[in-house]
Amino acid sequence: MLKTKSLRLIAALLSLLLLVSLAACGGGGDSAGTTQPPAGTQNPAPAATPAGDTGENSGGSTGGSPVAPITLHILENDTAKAEGYLEALLTAFNAAYADKGIVAVDANMDEFTDLAMNGPYGYGPDVLYQANDQLMQFAEDKHILPLNAEELECWSTTPEEAWEAFRLNLDGNSYLCGVPVNIQEPMLFYREDQMPADWQTKWDKDGNGTPDFFENWCDLYALSKEIHEADSSKFGFMASLNNLYLASPFMLSYGNYIFGEKDGVLDSTDVGFSKGNAVNGLMALRQFAGLMNEGCIDDTITLNRYEKIADGSYFCSVSTPDTYSLFLGNLTNRYVQDGMSQDEASAKAVENLKMIEMPAKMPANGDLSQDSSAVTDWVDTICMGGINGYAISSYTKYREACIEFVNFATSFDMVRTRAEMLGIAPTRSDVAALSGDTADTLFQSLDAGRIYLMPSIKAVDQIWVPSQTLMGDVAKDPFRVQQGDPARYPDKEALQAALEDMDQQIYDAIHTLAG
Amino acid sequence: MNGKPLILQAVQCPSPRVKASMILMGLGQILSREYIKGLLYLASLAAYVGYLAMIGITDIAGFITLGTVEADPWLGTAGDDSIIMMLRGLLAIVLTVGIVLLYRSNLRDILETEQLGLYGGNALPFPEAVRHFLDRKFYIVALALPVIGVMVFNVIPILFMILISFTNYGGNIIPPKLVDWTGLDSFRRVLSLTGIRETFFRILGWNMIWALASTAVNYFGGLGLALLLNKKCFKFKKFWRMFPIIAYAVPGFITLLAFKFLFSYGGPINYYITQAGSSAIGFLDIDAGLKAKLIGLGVNAWISIPTSMLLATGILSNMNESLYEAASIDGASPWQQFKKITLPFVVFSTTPVLITNFIGNFNNFGIFYFLRGGLYMDGYFLASDTDLLINWLYNLSIDNNYYSIGAAVSLIIFIITSVLSLSVYVRSNAYRKEDTYR
Repeated sequence: MLKTKSLRLIAALLSLLLLVSLAACGGGGDSAGTTQPPAGTQNPAPAATPAGDTGENSGGSTGGSPVAPITLHILENDTAKAEGYLEALLTAFNAAYADKGIVAVDANMDEFTDLAMNGPYGYGPDVLYQANDQLMQFAEDKHILPLNAEELECWSTTPEEAWEAFRLNLDGNSYLCGVPVNIQEPMLFYREDQMPADWQTKWDKDGNGTPDFFENWCDLYALSKEIHEADSSKFGFMASLNNLYLASPFMLSYGNYIFGEKDGVLDSTDVGFSKGNAVNGLMALRQFAGLMNEGCIDDTITLNRYEKIADGSYFCSVSTPDTYSLFLGNLTNRYVQDGMSQDEASAKAVENLKMIEMPAKMPANGDLSQDSSAVTDWVDTICMGGINGYAISSYTKYREACIEFVNFATSFDMVRTRAEMLGIAPTRSDVAALSGDTADTLFQSLDAGRIYLMPSIKAVDQIWVPSQTLMGDVAKDPFRVQQGDPARYPDKEALQAALEDMDQQIYDAIHTLAG
Repeated sequence: MNGKPLILQAVQCPSPRVKASMILMGLGQILSREYIKGLLYLASLAAYVGYLAMIGITDIAGFITLGTVEADPWLGTAGDDSIIMMLRGLLAIVLTVGIVLLYRSNLRDILETEQLGLYGGNALPFPEAVRHFLDRKFYIVALALPVIGVMVFNVIPILFMILISFTNYGGNIIPPKLVDWTGLDSFRRVLSLTGIRETFFRILGWNMIWALASTAVNYFGGLGLALLLNKKCFKFKKFWRMFPIIAYAVPGFITLLAFKFLFSYGGPINYYITQAGSSAIGFLDIDAGLKAKLIGLGVNAWISIPTSMLLATGILSNMNESLYEAASIDGASPWQQFKKITLPFVVFSTTPVLITNFIGNFNNFGIFYFLRGGLYMDGYFLASDTDLLINWLYNLSIDNNYYSIGAAVSLIIFIITSVLSLSVYVRSNAYRKEDTYR
């Protein structure tokens, strides 16, 4: 009986609960269309101004009461981790900021982590180090904080071009969303002992002590032809010509551009690969492909260049500065195989392996077969490049502390340490001046506009596959002819039409479904 | 129970207990002195109403609007996340469907109680009723967990994908921007926009040929190999059987990368071709077209034939040898024996597997992604001439962030493959003569 009574009581309570719920339901219904943030939305630290202006306390205490240490999660690239630079940076920062209660740790994430996917949900780093095109994709949707860069130590020593790589134009306003650290561009790698014995008499017409084939593309073409004709298993300049980044001199040196500008802002509706005299660059690419093997059509040369430079099959090849150690390792192994000790081999490889910028001049008409001394009209070689730098996630809880970290990581001492440990070309003029020829040359090229920085907008994602397809197709043309098939691009008109098709393809990819 | 709808039966039933359960789930059971059962119904309703009051109504409203306030991470403005709102709204709808089903079960139960006169303490005590239920409807208990698993891990993601295809999610509309419902616009764009429409139908045509050809090659290749290795005259069977199994044991993408290298300009095949004095062949380059498709078929066969062979070997071991002896005595040739005895037996046993293989090949992402990725051809929108629909779907949704278009394409793939496989299956002997063939 008691049991039945208890059950009745529970039933009554449940009914009451139901009534209360139903009553509350009315209130809930009212709020259904309101703007209350649902779960899954984020609530970043309150700040209506760029990070540098926030009043948030980054220190270890507020109003005298102790506050738990701030932990910053730092995302660096894999090379910085592997070479020990990240550890050095974190150690130095943590020592310097120990009294302020700020601790920086490795974010332990993939170096290409997608902040847009992770940040809003509370994951992702506080500070990121990535290339400008990558960072600015995040900035476009406000996943990266704008900065008062003028307040950073590196502001005055970093050229304007480097800062521009991190400029975001949004709703009529302009913001800087990253802090430049170093420049990247494709470089030429070669073995000094493979230079022609007679280069000083035959290949230095202007007598400036620099071989002509490292100064202009006509002489590099002529040398490549000579090497290949003398021994068909050997080649001069070799590159995967389907790679827009590595073969960018052929695609960007002739007055064309990737995206145009409208009111000083990059305009993705204006795709300009085919503009200017772009077709001359593609003619040059097609011509040089004829002196290479079929490996230039795909990524074969990108994969075997280290080994082939080491064994002397290729006179020179193109790669990024961060692959220097791979070339060096292969050359060292080659010397070890030849009977040298490891130390001797390493020393000789360092002495023999050279990394320089690509030849600075291309013939204006795109005909590489001309005698360089007869060419009067040159254009500057323009390579695609990028600026790597630091940025701060919009989802960090510690904006001021992040700024402190970025300021520390881009200070003279840390950038110099980075240059020494990783061999990067810094954007800071004071460090570049101390960091050797390559860094200084890259810095000057950036300053002189000979490096075409990857556009800092999301639409840049759409340029790679169409350009890879066209460049590979054009590079194949000489081999079609060799096999008795008709050329697909027999003249400038066909190449121009192909470039225009590629522009249209990129435009369609960006805009047709953009919504 | 008669054939009338349950709700109509409840309305027409004069019992106050039924009316009570109609108004408040479980109340009729409590009035019938089935207290625990009634309380469970009532508690479920209370939990649901509580859920609605706390978050459910907001979630359903959010599902309809997909958000009204855009977040601004710079200003720290918490906005609406359309995709999370869609997921939560979906969950609210699933729970609502669940409570409706529970309400139906409540009506059925109270009607049964009335019809059998089990009210007023005549019903079985609750624990006994549970035992009786477990015994009588064990299949429900046994299937409950798998059904919940399927709901959570299959149905809800599929529903979510379907819902995405009716929005403008993707392109420039990525959270924190707000996503909107756009109805059939994604399907309209796939099927009507110049360039995209042509790409879709071109790829669909090639996809059908690929799925049929690769399924046939793999199936008959495996069967042929199994028959060969089954021959009594064949020596060192175990040794030869080992090779396909090794090919099968190597992870598929490693095999694909190996084949890509094998056929590349710098690979060993071209090395020997050039050493022999000929020009290198672009097996997988932009001109490859048919060559690349045939290589894809071959590589897929390399990866898949071992499975078919193992399956066929198992089935052939069950063959009745006397059938062959009788056929031989009757003068049947080996080909006739294969056609009339072996093939029908194997096909009967493997029709479902054949359909699965067809679907697998239709959606075979890896082959052309690894062998010939990174090409966008003229006449194709973000695709090449060897891409299958699944590769195009990847290009659209992962490489280019066009999620709603990708979802629309995947829904179309789903419809095509399910219609084809179901229609083939219900026409097959494996389905129609399931219990008769021996």
